Amino acid sequence: MNSILEIKNLSIDLVDGRKTYPVVNDINLSIKKKQRYGIVGESGSGKSLTSLAIMNLLADSLKITRGSIVLDGKHELTKMKKKELRKVRGHDISMIFQEPMTALDPLYPIEHQILEVLRFHFTFSKKQMRDMAVEMLKKVGISRPEQIMKNYPHQLSGGMRQRVMIAMALICSPKLLIADEPTTALDVTIQAQILDLMNELTEDFDTSILMITHDLGVIVEMCERVAVMYAGEIVEETTVAKLFSNPAHPYTSGLLRSVQSLGNRTQSLYSIPGTVPTPKQQTAGCRFASRCPHVMPVCNSSPPFLEIGNDHSTKCWLYAKEGVVNA
Amino acid sequence: MMYAYITRRLLMLIPVLFGVSIFIFVMMRVVPGDVAMTILGTDATPESLAQLRKEFGLNLPLHQQYLNWMGGVLSGDFGESMRSGQAVLPDILSRFTITFELTLLSALISWIIAIPMGIIAAIRHNTKTDFSVRMVSLLGVSVPNFAMATVLILVLALFFSYSPPVGYIGFFEDPLRNLQILILPSLVLGTGMAGAVMRMTRSSVLEILRQDFIRTIRAKGARERVIIFDHALRNAMIPILTIIGMQVGTLLGGAVIIEQIFSLPGLGQLVLTAITQRDFTVVQGSVLFIAFVFVMINLLVDVLYSYLDPRINYK
Repeated sequence: MNSILEIKNLSIDLVDGRKTYPVVNDINLSIKKKQRYGIVGESGSGKSLTSLAIMNLLADSLKITRGSIVLDGKHELTKMKKKELRKVRGHDISMIFQEPMTALDPLYPIEHQILEVLRFHFTFSKKQMRDMAVEMLKKVGISRPEQIMKNYPHQLSGGMRQRVMIAMALICSPKLLIADEPTTALDVTIQAQILDLMNELTEDFDTSILMITHDLGVIVEMCERVAVMYAGEIVEETTVAKLFSNPAHPYTSGLLRSVQSLGNRTQSLYSIPGTVPTPKQQTAGCRFASRCPHVMPVCNSSPPFLEIGNDHSTKCWLYAKEGVVNA
Repeated sequence: MMYAYITRRLLMLIPVLFGVSIFIFVMMRVVPGDVAMTILGTDATPESLAQLRKEFGLNLPLHQQYLNWMGGVLSGDFGESMRSGQAVLPDILSRFTITFELTLLSALISWIIAIPMGIIAAIRHNTKTDFSVRMVSLLGVSVPNFAMATVLILVLALFFSYSPPVGYIGFFEDPLRNLQILILPSLVLGTGMAGAVMRMTRSSVLEILRQDFIRTIRAKGARERVIIFDHALRNAMIPILTIIGMQVGTLLGGAVIIEQIFSLPGLGQLVLTAITQRDFTVVQGSVLFIAFVFVMINLLVDVLYSYLDPRINYK
């Protein structure tokens, strides 16, 4: 297979004292070479945790309880030793985070922070590394790279900082770039620039993208495939085109309805009634049942993840065949 | 820019020291008894007391006394001790070298203990290691120095038949003996200081380790060593430096009790003796000097802040 990343049956638990709560439940996804894959969901859906689990960057209170994450068809990331994992981080897989304000160390100039990545993974001379950094900063659209290298993070704007983050993330030509809400904290005009930049550069570097976002607009703009997450589970998985033309899961339909469209401004904005259940409130059965307009008695038991068409799967009883329901 | 800032801070010393000088001058006149009474004792006749006060100029109006003293101080003459007749400033300086050495050694000991322990506790927080470090640091903060000193002396004497040499000898005369004299008081003071520094290091490093940029650095493939020392510790340094600055500043004013227990002729002992003898010139001169040192340490800490953190920029 030409999968860059293959996640199978991934589950993550939150450990709180002696109790544990499932926060991510049985996630399956596969990202192909040069593919742009999106995970969309509200806050608390477990999308960020999934992305952090890939790099093994989860906080101590979160534990991967089950499943595997395989890089490049051969490296099992969940069982990797620290030393091997260090070689993957920043080199094979790199990450961009939501808050460019706080994602850079305030005490070091940009040069130090970019060169650090190179220093961790290669043995170039200082001169070579500097040249590479300047080159990379030019590629992310920074016009005076020599000047910026000497600056500290607080001297740069949010957009500039995010460009620096992208430069840092791509300088080792990673196979996969995980972008966790990369534009959420930025101005709308800057958002578009950053997305364009990511599109362009990942093309040049043959890098796959895993885009984590709550913004369906970002998914349309950037991704080819998408997984919709709700309360720690993937509820629908398909191509972006199919998701928008033919949403299957009631949650996805609700999400699409709550997006403001330009032509239709007279109606008030739709919102899905209720809130996402917290890990501590979860009950057996479908997790969306309490907010679902199509709720049925069978929703009290957990729905199967069903293939409902060509390259389109969803986790909902609505699509279960009679036989399956009775089984 | 930095020089302009330092110059301005040094100019601010003038009003501070002026205030301190008035305060201590008035304090010494307000407390009951004076130097003439302590010299002549309780049997003194009023005439002999008046005679002695006249000699020291204590019969003059207060403002006149203050101006006489200040005039001398401004020209670098802190006057003579009313008790021994020795010049005050040289005496302060020679005792300050002892206090300075004691402070330096204590501070070094406290940092060597506290900073690594604090870091380890932060990395392994909520484990048994963390718990023990916190217990030890709580002990360090709460056990008074004099108790610690007494126990140390007793234990060494009873179980190891060791007693520290008495009488101070300068470092350049006999370094080994000098260290022998200073190591015990420094240990006591250092472990006392270590408690607070350890707690601050732990909480400060812990807070930084939870920051987003630490996750970024980890995601770049950094070793733990780089994460802890290059990034976490350096970011955590500001509050640690603040507490260290306060400790060092205070200690440079003399460690009265410890100097007394280990019979070290430091600044604290000088001030204490001078106060009990109502030796006005010595008390006033020493307090002024201690205030000056404290302000200088604060200035040094502020300059170090801007060196550590580029966001702190004095204009």
